[in-house]
Amino acid sequence: MAVTTESVKADTAEAPLLNVRNLILGSLLYIVFYGWVRWYEGVYGWSAGLDSFAPEFETYWMNFLYIEFVLEVSTAGILWGYIWKTRDRKVMSITPREELRRHMTHWTWLVMYAWAIYYGASYFTEQDGTWHQTIVRDTDFTPSHIIEFYLSYPIYIITGGACFLYAKTRLPTYQQGLHMQYLVATVGPFMILPNVGLNEWGHTFWFMEELFVAPLHYGFVFFGWAALGLLGVVNTEVGAISKLLKKDLA
Amino acid sequence: MSASQSAVRSRAEAVKVSRTFDWLILFTLFFVVLGGYHIHYMLTGGDWDFWTDWKDRRLWVTVAPIVSITFPAAVQACLWWRYRLPFGAVVCVLGLLLGEWINRYLNFWGWTYFPVNFCFPSNLVPGAILLDVVLLMSNSFVATAVVGGLTYGLIFYPGNWPIIAPLHVPVEYNGMMMTIADLQGYHYVRTGTPEYIRMVEKGTLRTFGKDVAPVSAFFSGFVSILIYFLWHFFGKWFASTKFVESV
Repeated sequence: MAVTTESVKADTAEAPLLNVRNLILGSLLYIVFYGWVRWYEGVYGWSAGLDSFAPEFETYWMNFLYIEFVLEVSTAGILWGYIWKTRDRKVMSITPREELRRHMTHWTWLVMYAWAIYYGASYFTEQDGTWHQTIVRDTDFTPSHIIEFYLSYPIYIITGGACFLYAKTRLPTYQQGLHMQYLVATVGPFMILPNVGLNEWGHTFWFMEELFVAPLHYGFVFFGWAALGLLGVVNTEVGAISKLLKKDLA
Repeated sequence: MSASQSAVRSRAEAVKVSRTFDWLILFTLFFVVLGGYHIHYMLTGGDWDFWTDWKDRRLWVTVAPIVSITFPAAVQACLWWRYRLPFGAVVCVLGLLLGEWINRYLNFWGWTYFPVNFCFPSNLVPGAILLDVVLLMSNSFVATAVVGGLTYGLIFYPGNWPIIAPLHVPVEYNGMMMTIADLQGYHYVRTGTPEYIRMVEKGTLRTFGKDVAPVSAFFSGFVSILIYFLWHFFGKWFASTKFVESV
């Protein structure tokens, strides 16, 4: 009886398999933050973002750019450093239940990656289309670029890097080498950021009309395909989770 | 079997955990595919999708199906061949449309003030349903590529017809014949954008009637077949679970 009581106590004290609170708070972080960013664009895009030589442009947009650069480098360093520093050095000897719990946490990270990719590749990228087809650009650092290229892209790179690092440092499934499609799904979209170099160079050189389907933009397309690498990650995860659950579902 | 060897403590918990993973996976897959598909589509066919004056009977009909059959083919290659889930194409298109509608409303209208009846996205749903149905009924990717790919191209214009027809009505304006959609384009000036009509008003295909849309749709269906084959193999590669030693 005493043993049973102890066992029940241990069960109730144990961390839940899926930390729903983290899942909701993490999602809210992206939604609320990007809601604020969109509000900022709406207010200061038209009032201070049309002429890059104006003093208010420096105040509201260039300062935004400098601050986000510092915050992004710091966040990446701290987050990735923390995940690496606290890695499990005996990852192959964890219990099946702990492994299942870590898969749940891994998927919490991947849900964050989904939010980050959505805002970066969909929301702010197409938004850039309507801004530049409407407003004639006079700088590489336009209000939509400061948000799209230099905020939303770094955020999904940081999130994707965190997902990959978490899987590599805490899950036995990923200890047999480097998962190729996981690399594709994180490094491919990452390459969209360096491709901005080509994009800006082209825009400056040709000062072209704002066709969104211009071949100059095809680099973004090519690296955007890499998001499909998630299919390989899903297949690996389904295999690993099935192994953990199969005997109990049979 | 001791408790420490089992990941779950009961069959009921195993079922619950399995369902939880299903939702986490579906959510993530939906939004990641949405992001990848949307950036692909907006940069290969986006201008035709953004503005009604680009939604003509020639290039819109040709380009949109060809560039949009890509991700559906790749995702079908994974979801059907691995899990027998017959909704790969529809899930892609619904994701794309969600991303587009949010953008057209909150940004095209909400930030740059173009009315939604000038910048609504194209409807790709009928083609996606047909693609999934052909795969489900035939269980053959060759049949899906040939029959599904062709119908995907052919159904695009009829699928958009109820939406676009009122804007393709001819109108005479300042002595020139044009469509209502062209007129919208003149009135809602996009400062950085070239006038579409200047780029495409050549040859005889962009006329008001006769064979323009069917010819374009048939050509589009033909190329969609080829693109489906290509992207089916892309999808299989992206769905692989290989590990490499180093990079």
